[in-house]
Amino acid sequence: MQAGRRYTRRDFFGIAASGCACVACGGANAQTLRYDLKAVEIAPQSYAVYGAQEYFTFQNGGNIVNTAFFGVPDGVVVVDTGPSRRYGEAFQELIAATLPGRDVVRVFNTHHHPDHFFGNQVFDRGLIAAPQTVIDNIDVDGVAFADNLYRLVGDWMRGTEPVAPGLVIDMDREDVGGRALSYLRLAGHTSADFALRDDATGVLYAGDLAFLDRAPTTPHADLDIWRASLRTLLATDRDVLLPGHGPADPKNDAILQTLDYLDWLDGSLRDAVQKGLTMTEAMAVPIPDRFAALGVVRSEFERSVVHLFERFEDELYESVPVAD
Amino acid sequence: MKRILAASILSVSLAAPALAGEFPEDPLKSVMWEYMAERFFSDGKIVFDPRVRVHTPDSAENQMLVPVTVDARGLWGVREILVVADLNPLPHVLTFHPDQAEPFIGFRLKVEQATAIRVGVKTVDGTWYMGGKVIDAAGGGCTAPASVHSTKNWMASLGKTRALVRRINDDTLRVKVRMKHPMDTGLADGIPVFHMNRIGVESGGDSVARIALYEPVSEDPTVTIMPKVAKQASVLDFSASDTEGNTYSYHLPVPAEPAL
Repeated sequence: MQAGRRYTRRDFFGIAASGCACVACGGANAQTLRYDLKAVEIAPQSYAVYGAQEYFTFQNGGNIVNTAFFGVPDGVVVVDTGPSRRYGEAFQELIAATLPGRDVVRVFNTHHHPDHFFGNQVFDRGLIAAPQTVIDNIDVDGVAFADNLYRLVGDWMRGTEPVAPGLVIDMDREDVGGRALSYLRLAGHTSADFALRDDATGVLYAGDLAFLDRAPTTPHADLDIWRASLRTLLATDRDVLLPGHGPADPKNDAILQTLDYLDWLDGSLRDAVQKGLTMTEAMAVPIPDRFAALGVVRSEFERSVVHLFERFEDELYESVPVAD
Repeated sequence: MKRILAASILSVSLAAPALAGEFPEDPLKSVMWEYMAERFFSDGKIVFDPRVRVHTPDSAENQMLVPVTVDARGLWGVREILVVADLNPLPHVLTFHPDQAEPFIGFRLKVEQATAIRVGVKTVDGTWYMGGKVIDAAGGGCTAPASVHSTKNWMASLGKTRALVRRINDDTLRVKVRMKHPMDTGLADGIPVFHMNRIGVESGGDSVARIALYEPVSEDPTVTIMPKVAKQASVLDFSASDTEGNTYSYHLPVPAEPAL
């Protein structure tokens, strides 16, 4: 997507923001942009940091994501790092204030979507871990994601660069800082989705495989693989699940709601394609009442039509013999 | 000398029939409106009219794939539908002649930046009825290479077609065709222009629809139209071509009964 462009959009914003009062910021400036992060205890010494149930805007600074951290005998483990360098800095301060005097011994990235890893910059790259495919995806898409986030949230992103993890997760269990962790290397929301369970507390950090009370996003989704991964999570012992977006869930709500939405999305897109609807007609189909309360459901559904519609057209329409 | 002067005055007036302020004010507030009006719509009266319905998202999720549906079924006597994207480097998207079809077309286009997507609908009296919408977008849809170029031997799939034909009622069909083609704009580094430029649809030797396609139409052009074809017809004849003279023809069976 960056073919032939010497200056990226990010460079442009950097130049514009450094030398002027930044029209896009509506009076805010570097000193006043500050994430108000709060740690919510979801298990002993285990904390969720909840983002807004929204899409990226300047008002939310891209803080639409759940990150998490938990104490282990030898330090602190971090799960995902947020949408920007500035978020990473605020997150680090929050961790130090919540679990004082303890070093971060490990940082995980659940997948390569920009709200989950752009805080990586503030951590030691040698402590950041993910499966190889997550790392590869960050290498491929990271710069374009940064460009797009600069466009969407502006100066909140100042100084943010993509940093890929330095450690590869290729095992199913590991002792990290004196704590046994179980790893689930899955896929479907993207081509590589990583979930982990802290075996001591029973918290399952699910990343964006699970959403709760917020419509799932599909820019890199494979609906069949995703649903298979959700069934794996459903069968995984846990006391509480932290979704990538939405509140911590002691039951099966996040998994079942995400499954239900993906089933409906799959069915309604197939139906629209089989009726020969155009993409904008498909975007206007009714959304069932049970999903009405999901945050940003209409706009996420419209985005999903763009992501998935042509795949269903290629699958469902008959091939036609063509002559020269 | 007098003759030369007269000729040059004539040529000036022919070349610039429209002066600033001659066109109605643009509800889309595009800086390119007068230029677009003069280039594409100056051969008839111009009226902005809500019966030209243009559906597209507010923001381009993918600048290579912006879905648009144009529905001018509220107008009578439509002869031509012309679509432009004001701020694309190559603004002309497509021209559709619904000879024996509803004035309705669905398609997808590439946008280079946020732009007005503008639709002119010309009726039998020569008037251009105008509609459109502004779409927000990240950059680069027209200057990025088509995705097919990242695959090996992409020429092998050229022209491969998938299609759907459904009968809506006794005299109307809904037809969607999707044809493999890179639709190269010539603006991506090292990739020359190469795009499908014509689709013709006939029934029993009569033209049903003619579509001229230009660079901004998305890779693998996918077009939805509504032919007015009676139950007696058993087949629609398609012929298409691209800018390198390749031709593609195929025949789609027409169902006699409406789909459930």
